[in-house]
Amino acid sequence: MAIEIRNVEKTFGAFTALGGVSLDVRSGELLALLGPSGSGKTTLLRIIAGLDHADAGEVSFDGQDTRDRAARDRKVGFVFQHYALFRHMTVFDNVAFGLRVKKKAERPAEMDIRRRVDQLLTMVQLSHLASRYPSQLSGGQRQRVALARALAIEPKVLLLDEPFGALDAKVRKDLRKWLRHLHDDMHITSIFVTHDQEEALELADRVVVMNHGRIIQVGTPAEVYDHPADSFVFDFLGGVSRLNGVIEQGVVRLDGKAVRVDGAVGADGPAVIYIRPHQVELGVAPAGGVPEGKWSARVSSLHAAGPVARLELDLAGRALEAQLSRDRLSDLALEVGSWCTVDFRHARVFPAKS
Amino acid sequence: MPADPHSRRPAVGEGPVTRLALIGLAILFLAAFLALPLAAVFSQALAKGVGAFLTGLADPDAMSAIRLTLTIAAIAVPLNLVFGVAASWAIAKFNFRGKSLLLALIDLPFSVSPVISGLVYVLLFGLHGTFGPWLRDHGVQIIFAVPGVVMATVFVTFPFVARELIPLMQEQGVEDEEAAIVLGASGWQTFRLVTLPNIRWGLLYGVLLCNARAMGEFGAVSVVSGHIRGKTNTMPLHVEILYNEYNFVAAFAVASLLALLALVTLAAKAALEWRFADQIAAAKR
Repeated sequence: MAIEIRNVEKTFGAFTALGGVSLDVRSGELLALLGPSGSGKTTLLRIIAGLDHADAGEVSFDGQDTRDRAARDRKVGFVFQHYALFRHMTVFDNVAFGLRVKKKAERPAEMDIRRRVDQLLTMVQLSHLASRYPSQLSGGQRQRVALARALAIEPKVLLLDEPFGALDAKVRKDLRKWLRHLHDDMHITSIFVTHDQEEALELADRVVVMNHGRIIQVGTPAEVYDHPADSFVFDFLGGVSRLNGVIEQGVVRLDGKAVRVDGAVGADGPAVIYIRPHQVELGVAPAGGVPEGKWSARVSSLHAAGPVARLELDLAGRALEAQLSRDRLSDLALEVGSWCTVDFRHARVFPAKS
Repeated sequence: MPADPHSRRPAVGEGPVTRLALIGLAILFLAAFLALPLAAVFSQALAKGVGAFLTGLADPDAMSAIRLTLTIAAIAVPLNLVFGVAASWAIAKFNFRGKSLLLALIDLPFSVSPVISGLVYVLLFGLHGTFGPWLRDHGVQIIFAVPGVVMATVFVTFPFVARELIPLMQEQGVEDEEAAIVLGASGWQTFRLVTLPNIRWGLLYGVLLCNARAMGEFGAVSVVSGHIRGKTNTMPLHVEILYNEYNFVAAFAVASLLALLALVTLAAKAALEWRFADQIAAAKR
């Protein structure tokens, strides 16, 4: 099911949770709403589910306005951040809930309910825990029960609020992969909210980056990662070094010396150079001075566990992070205290916020 | 030489002397102020043998007082149950104007003297009260009659269920209800299948406390009842009358029955807690 969101606004008292948000969710895609807390991503999810009303704007499902459809009639699967499992019911009864509360005319026979719930529990690999209570389950198991319960009503759209937020790192990674496979099998339109950029980039078909109640950028993980719309997105996607410089007559300067950048540079004024660790190009420091357009830096620390090496460089008193393969590291023969050249070709420059 | 594990001080906590002193103090206090009076009630009631005890209870006026007390509890407790659930639902799950005012009003019966609670009804429904003449013209008697006693009891016991449920429901939040609604449940289904099971233990405690107070209330009931023997006398009032007449055995016989009702209530609560310990623990998680 496709979802169209048009100019949705929502305020809580003096706080603007959503300031005119428009978004098209394509049928069958897995979409991530990514942003810091207070960016409005959960509010948007709740409005789609019908748990909150928008102050203005509209949300339509397959072209049909949802304004008059109450949450219980929307056929939306919602997985809550803290799962909201019914603590007095067994796992089985939790999953069966949505089927059992249907109006008599639509309600499946108890036998069919049983079969459907068994199916779902098998799918989430929890059949052996059907008679347990939620308090007897681990976080990851609760999460899967919540998912099975949401899927029981055969929703047209699946909404997940911080689905992995309360889990530890290892479980989170496994569950993420598992959810991706599940989505590939079922192709149900799914939207999940997260503040974890890694999660969004790894899991989603498309990522919606939000901040202060507005959508900043929409795109595939590669698009938002490689072409951040602004400094906020660059910052939020993480792992970036920032160097304060200045733009003079279309040339970026650091300490008065020009920095060669491949991309376009903005208008004159104070600017920030953004560069990700893996974009930092290192070279052997030549004996006779640094070549034109390059900088020289000293290695201040070095972590070489795993396939990649992470370096911290001291570039004229500024800290700069770099990342390179172990092979490249041994080619350059770098160690703590040695000198190298730095190339900023792949850096992006944004005007500094005043 | 390895130390005997039992003689070692716990890693964190007080030494054995402090511990014993604290426990001893608590037991001493309980014995002096709770167990001793309770024992006195029963020993006084049985001072002249079981026969005198039973005669005291079999007295028609005593029987009538027992009946009235049970009737009042049977009316006041369900009323309270409905009001308590409605009020705590409203306060815990919604935001509305005047919420803090409603909270303060719920506490009112706790904060004013029961005598005043009784007097309010006299002022409203008594012969010279606001509605007095109208009620008299229509042949309705509230003050010095059973309706007045019931109303005073309901007023005094108002906060019990609500006070028990509000913190519980506030802590549980609305996520469970939202989950039920998104899954397609109606408001009534959500209440019956999700909210009510979540609060049932708190509700039970509230009802038990409310019941104990409804049966034991003295002050407010005393003002509105008129002390008509065999008609508007509840058990606590009857105890006082008998006591003032120096009929100690009968007075303590009725008193012991009242105390027994309270003990049964407590025992029921303890038994339920023991029987459903795992469910209670699960509900709190």
